[in-house]
Amino acid sequence: MLYYLIVCRSLTYAQRTAAALERAGITAHILRSPKSIAGEGCSHSVKISQRRLAGALQALHRVGLDPKRVFLTAGDGSYREVEL
Amino acid sequence: MIYLDSAATTLEKPPEVARACAYAVGHLASPGRGGYEAAMAAADTAFACRTAAAELFHVPGPEQVVLTFNATHGLNIAIRSLVKPGDRVVISGYEHNAVTRTLRSIPGVEVRAAASPLFDPDACLEAFYQALEGGAAAAVCTHVSNVFGFVLPIEGIAALCRARGVPLIIDAAQSAGCLPLDFQALGAAFAAMPGHKGLYGPQGTGLLLCGGLPARPLLTGGTGSASLEQSMPDFLPDRLEAGTHNIAGAAGLLEGLRFVRRRGVETIGAEEAALIRRLGAGLGRLPGIRAYLAPEGADCQAGVLSFQAEGWDCEDLAQRLGRRGAALRAGLHCAPLAHQTAGTLDRGTLRASVSAFTTRREIQQFLTILEEIL
Repeated sequence: MLYYLIVCRSLTYAQRTAAALERAGITAHILRSPKSIAGEGCSHSVKISQRRLAGALQALHRVGLDPKRVFLTAGDGSYREVEL
Repeated sequence: MIYLDSAATTLEKPPEVARACAYAVGHLASPGRGGYEAAMAAADTAFACRTAAAELFHVPGPEQVVLTFNATHGLNIAIRSLVKPGDRVVISGYEHNAVTRTLRSIPGVEVRAAASPLFDPDACLEAFYQALEGGAAAAVCTHVSNVFGFVLPIEGIAALCRARGVPLIIDAAQSAGCLPLDFQALGAAFAAMPGHKGLYGPQGTGLLLCGGLPARPLLTGGTGSASLEQSMPDFLPDRLEAGTHNIAGAAGLLEGLRFVRRRGVETIGAEEAALIRRLGAGLGRLPGIRAYLAPEGADCQAGVLSFQAEGWDCEDLAQRLGRRGAALRAGLHCAPLAHQTAGTLDRGTLRASVSAFTTRREIQQFLTILEEIL
């Protein structure tokens, strides 16, 4: 299954992001960012369904939590950064 | 035991607090250090604690709520973030050693005390107005004197600081949980508070509310974020939370915050103030007692009251009371400046302080014991 990962700089931002998405009716799960996309070493990401990205970005923009980096899983398990 | 030392620690807590702590010890791992269930459950607890505090104190975002070990920890971070060697700092005349010793440890700091008489908010504001002349790197002000329960006019002091462009640090050690504190409206740089007093959490917990100014870490180390970077992260709360969290403490503090929210800050504060007035009236009927009470109707005394007994050393009387089952603190209460300002430095005082669990019956029992000893 394809999904998006919204990379957050801190666990607390990831929690805020996930809470905002849940409030908007979008299922969101927090996980440790895969090493290959973690950026500065360790970070957390919020995982959402492939179908919900547009709604998620709108919901996050409304609460001032615009993500900086978003990745899409590829079928082979790698990640591709999405241009926002 | 008749416990009247809640200004040091509230001993009776809502039962959920101990239950949450015990559960956390057995079930919660380290937040931010793993993606497995026990780590994420710990992360949820820490986030819920930050969120509950942010709502209670009107902080814009939960990331601006830093988990500390106590109020002193938070005050050290706040003061060391704003004050450099040689700076001038304005403080009230009622500050605790958590403030005055920390300022003294920074070389060459000029401390200007805005000293004013007890229970006189207007004089306090005037003193701050004058002390802030010429500017300052920071102002530090306790919201409530830990010795006398004097509620300082923090809204007015905050307004003076905003007008002068002086960052304000609020010591909310005695007010958090019993007086409203709107952090955003006050525009303060920081507010520090313990978790184990009016917020009914366990010892070893505290909160530092952070405004927008850069904060300097007191500790450096792992945060579970930006690990390749060898300086502390530039984002909150990670920047100020190096090392493993006291997550059992945070779990307990969360339940304490929920209790305060359920009961209502204003309700708790009003009940505590009423108990103190009752205690003050009772003390006034005893011979040789001098109680430090706000004037009738002044509405500037929280759940703390100091008194002295003629012919008694305050520590001796506290010992005698303790043997009869009444727990009070005597001496200088780690606040010699407050005693100096009020003129009680030479003798010290006995301090009675109440919580949401103190009853009128306990106040009456205490007065009876005191009368029998005298």
